[in-house]
Amino acid sequence: MFIQIEPQSDIPIYTQVKNGIMEGIVRGELVAGDILPSVRSLAGDLGVNMHTVNKSYHELESKGVIRIVPKSGAVICTPSAGEIPPSRLEQISEELRPIVVESLVIGMSEKEIQELVASIILKVKGE
Amino acid sequence: MEMTLLFVTVGFLMFLQITIPFIVKRTVVFGVTIPVDEIRNEQLLRYKKLYAILTFFISIAALALYFIWSKDISPTENHLILAGLLLPFVILFISMSLYFYFHMKVTSLKREKQWFKDRKQVKVSELNLRTKDEMLPWIVYVVPMVITAGLMVFTLANYNSLPDQIPTHWGPDGKPDAFTTKSYLSALILPFVLLVLNTMFLGINELTRNSGIKLSAGNINASRVRQLRLRKYTSWLLFFISILVSMLFTFLQFTTLYENSVSDLLIITIPLAFSALVLIGTVLMAIKVGKKDSDLDLEIIDEGTGEVINADDDQYWKGGLFYFNPEDPSIFVEKRFGVGWTLNFARPMGYLILVGPLLVIIIITLI
Repeated sequence: MFIQIEPQSDIPIYTQVKNGIMEGIVRGELVAGDILPSVRSLAGDLGVNMHTVNKSYHELESKGVIRIVPKSGAVICTPSAGEIPPSRLEQISEELRPIVVESLVIGMSEKEIQELVASIILKVKGE
Repeated sequence: MEMTLLFVTVGFLMFLQITIPFIVKRTVVFGVTIPVDEIRNEQLLRYKKLYAILTFFISIAALALYFIWSKDISPTENHLILAGLLLPFVILFISMSLYFYFHMKVTSLKREKQWFKDRKQVKVSELNLRTKDEMLPWIVYVVPMVITAGLMVFTLANYNSLPDQIPTHWGPDGKPDAFTTKSYLSALILPFVLLVLNTMFLGINELTRNSGIKLSAGNINASRVRQLRLRKYTSWLLFFISILVSMLFTFLQFTTLYENSVSDLLIITIPLAFSALVLIGTVLMAIKVGKKDSDLDLEIIDEGTGEVINADDDQYWKGGLFYFNPEDPSIFVEKRFGVGWTLNFARPMGYLILVGPLLVIIIITLI
């Protein structure tokens, strides 16, 4: 799986790396049990600071996307079966809220927002 | 004999300097990063041709001057040899001056045309690429060390048969020209130096392995093949040289022990054969790597939509030659001008691996 970063972008690189990995999971290019490259080698391949990649991995770990196992490295987790815990739902909705509000303020209708979200999902899945 | 040797060296060097712009990776022209879609740019191709032609003719002129001077003025033997030794450096100086001249030209062309302005520059990495990495494992580098250990045991076992004067330096004819009195330390200097060299090769291999595999957006496939080849073949070359050095040093130690039973012919040919083999290995590596993702690569790049291009990393290359990037944990990176590796000068570890062994060798020889 490819991961792509844009050094000139306003989005911090650790966020780009984090999103890149999560998009890989959505597309099915990374599945549960897959091992991510070591912090050092991914940082070397991208030519970025090791702390940057380390930060991405730790954020992914705190979100429960990966598990950092001593010696074997960062392993992709199995998505938890059953319902998503309400606390996670709450957090996602809080992060989504300002974007939805901004869309409404610039005059997008509810339907347009839903269409936009659907198109983003399609794009991420690469279909 | 000397003249043929000079011809071969200078000719080889000239050939190398002339071909370099065509065997370096396509997205770097005279040390300047260019976008993938400009690799067929007429002006850049003209610069490369001009560089090759100028290097060729100016070098030929230098060579001609040397011969006229050696024939007409009939200088003393010493002067002749000194000038002959200087000649390769003159060739290098000529090609490097031309390199800098064209480096400036390409830099200003790039600034003028603003190739990277308002374009999405990206860096790409493939997460499971390291499973395809074919560098030799560190354990094979222990093989030459075993040879070295054997040589130490052999030296100690035959200590009494060693001559009272141990050679410490060998002349161009392969014969020792400097000696020191026999002691356990002086008898073991050669194997010790050898061990340091073996360790250095092992260290370089491992540091190279930890270095990043740099892909170029827009020509991922070709750059991937090139990077993997560079890693694989330099690792093979290092191993090959490590074995060869062990064999050469073992031979030298033997000639010390059996001073008179080794024929003069062998004493001259073995070091020459060593140099020749190292040279051939290096050329093979350069061909293998240089064929891919360079001007010699006939594969046409048709990847992606052209929306994203390889990131411009010129700010990390001082003078287009020296890599200085404190962010990058890689200690070695692909050279900009030539085929092979160069140091990330922002990483002190690199200096250590290159200067450290030399210091150790100097200290050993001074004791």
